Amino acid sequence: MTNLSTITLASSTDPYRKAQERGWDITNATGLTASLELEADVVIVGTGAGGGTAAETLSKAGLSVVLLEAGPLKTSSEFDMQERSAYRDLYQEGTGRANKSGSMTILQGRSVGGSTTVNWTTSFRTPPETLKFWADSMDVVGCSVDELAPYFQQMETRLNISKWGMPPNPNNEVLKTASEKLGYSWSTIHRNVRGCLNLGYCGLGCPVDAKQSMLVTTIPTALDHKAKLIHHARVERVLVEGDTAVGVEASALTPDGWGTTGKTIKVRAARTVLAGGAINTPAVLLRSSVPDPHSRIGKRTFLHPTTLSMGIFDKEIDPFYGAPQSIYSDHFQWQTVNTGPVGFKLEVPPLHPAFAAGFYGASGEMLTSSMDKLANTQCMIALMRDGFDERSQGGAVELNDRGEPLLDYELDAYLLEGVRRAWNTMVEMQFATGAKTVRPAHKDARHYRSWTEAKAAIAALQYAPHKVTVGSAHVMGGCPMGEDETKSVANSEGKFHHLANLYVMDGSLFPTSIGANPQLSIYGLVLKLSTKLASQFAA
Amino acid sequence: MKLSATGAVALSTMSTGAWLSGCTSSQAAPGMRFLRPEDVEMLSALTPSVMAGQVGPGDTEKIDRTVKSFDTLLGDTSQIVVDLLLEAFDVLNFTPTRGLMTGQWASWSNASVQDADKALSRLRDSNIELLNAIYAAVIRMIASSYYLIAEYDASTGYPGPPKKIRGDIPKVDEPSDVEATQ
Repeated sequence: MTNLSTITLASSTDPYRKAQERGWDITNATGLTASLELEADVVIVGTGAGGGTAAETLSKAGLSVVLLEAGPLKTSSEFDMQERSAYRDLYQEGTGRANKSGSMTILQGRSVGGSTTVNWTTSFRTPPETLKFWADSMDVVGCSVDELAPYFQQMETRLNISKWGMPPNPNNEVLKTASEKLGYSWSTIHRNVRGCLNLGYCGLGCPVDAKQSMLVTTIPTALDHKAKLIHHARVERVLVEGDTAVGVEASALTPDGWGTTGKTIKVRAARTVLAGGAINTPAVLLRSSVPDPHSRIGKRTFLHPTTLSMGIFDKEIDPFYGAPQSIYSDHFQWQTVNTGPVGFKLEVPPLHPAFAAGFYGASGEMLTSSMDKLANTQCMIALMRDGFDERSQGGAVELNDRGEPLLDYELDAYLLEGVRRAWNTMVEMQFATGAKTVRPAHKDARHYRSWTEAKAAIAALQYAPHKVTVGSAHVMGGCPMGEDETKSVANSEGKFHHLANLYVMDGSLFPTSIGANPQLSIYGLVLKLSTKLASQFAA
Repeated sequence: MKLSATGAVALSTMSTGAWLSGCTSSQAAPGMRFLRPEDVEMLSALTPSVMAGQVGPGDTEKIDRTVKSFDTLLGDTSQIVVDLLLEAFDVLNFTPTRGLMTGQWASWSNASVQDADKALSRLRDSNIELLNAIYAAVIRMIASSYYLIAEYDASTGYPGPPKKIRGDIPKVDEPSDVEATQ
């Protein structure tokens, strides 16, 4: 079997090792001995796909930029490919984030680079069907396929996004073979990597900086252009004077991110850009008590609710190694666009032990005997495209009494029907490619030995939240864009409807889910919006 | 017996309300940051059930390390997660609710693996969504806590990641060139 544990990697690629000689201005707010007051042309809240892209565009245009990040600065020198340190340091709530009822685990990044530091590199342009739906039904303007194409192209070049050229790992190979056997369309995934070693640790922080995340691309460029980066700084609220946003106020966090040090960071800026990601961006707006006459802030939050099926094979799969995602199938994604049952995209996830154990949703011998066969386990996931059909309105971000965001989004009959259909599809695919046993992620499910047995069982299972295992790695929406103020939070240029000088530039702008892994959708859109914003200063 | 839906609402109110607090110690157990003595007892009883096949009831070291790993994992999450889990644990620790919900009327320290199996099955099979949620969270956290221990993940056939030579980051932490205001 494959054994990568005998390899030794040195981390000579870390651009932050040369921070001082490059003159980078980086502050860990934890160490502040006094509160700070700063001024800038633009303050950007968040350093993920949106914040990173905006920072590069605006700082290259000659504007003074301050970047605020609640998470820590962790770089490849520290990425040791261990699950515990990665989940603790690089994920929101240490991967413990969930919807309000706890029925869906939500994986989101939380360090410099945001989710781009931990995503699996999968890159799709926003599907044409999605853009058309936004134009036709969500009053979005300027975001047609043709209008966005140059921005996607520029970001694809910037981040070296190209079709993965190496053979898929066995985990992905099963998706390809099964699609061919059953007559489903499939294709190879495009990835944002340069010099990828095909190790399989994208989700735990790329140890060799091959992944072209914001951490190693746009943020270093912004720092080269004199942007100031402050991490361990959680933005509490937007500062408002009259009908104008004039900056933000942040709290300095303790080293572990649990508490505040009592020091604050106030940044006054000509423009304020919120890019904390869906959930955190609407939360900042809610905490700021900004005008929201139609109660739209936080609404229409989408997740691509994702369920899974585990198949155990005789052959080695080694699902912990190799590029995590290289094959996908959209066969069941666009059978209808905005009517009828929910569409889903088929992909596979990497399986490291604690991650796999957590998502097995099993206990006792069922869990441990399955985990003993992890090296022979193939996992298929279905990402449901929420937010298109009338029945799919998504969730709502709200605040608890400490001002922390909670997402009220429950699995309803519409989505649970999708779970059942996705299991039928994935389980059949796994048996068709030689799986010896397959278990869909239902708390009452067993490892079934044939497709016939599994099919009967899937029909008989009870479909309810907490019974089915569903999670999300793609939070979108909550500040939907559009020209109709009664339905949206920002206009199609990302400008907040109800205050001057306030912008949203991240995935929270999406008025529906994307129907594909969202990172490139954020890059392309934010490049367009931030280019426009930079031109305002020039004028 | 199974509680009605109204019972579930009452339970959920109860678990967040004042009257359950005070039934569990407010202080963390020795060596723990979050888990209280009752939580440690309960998790020690449930671990050999969740991890059957890897952890036997007599495997004190494995049980202790898993419970300690659970506490560390809580510290890696957030106040929201900790609050919710400790509220759920209140339900599992407080004798009347524990007995009613899990059938475990005696304290967790007296529970056999069979008792723990039965308790978990009752949570899983309950018609009350809150109990299903507690089941899902408890098994997920115990399983993750166990497999986050490097020596224990070897049973999965995962050889582990490549070795990494750790590099030092130059210090760039001081707020040096900015105007500080008091």
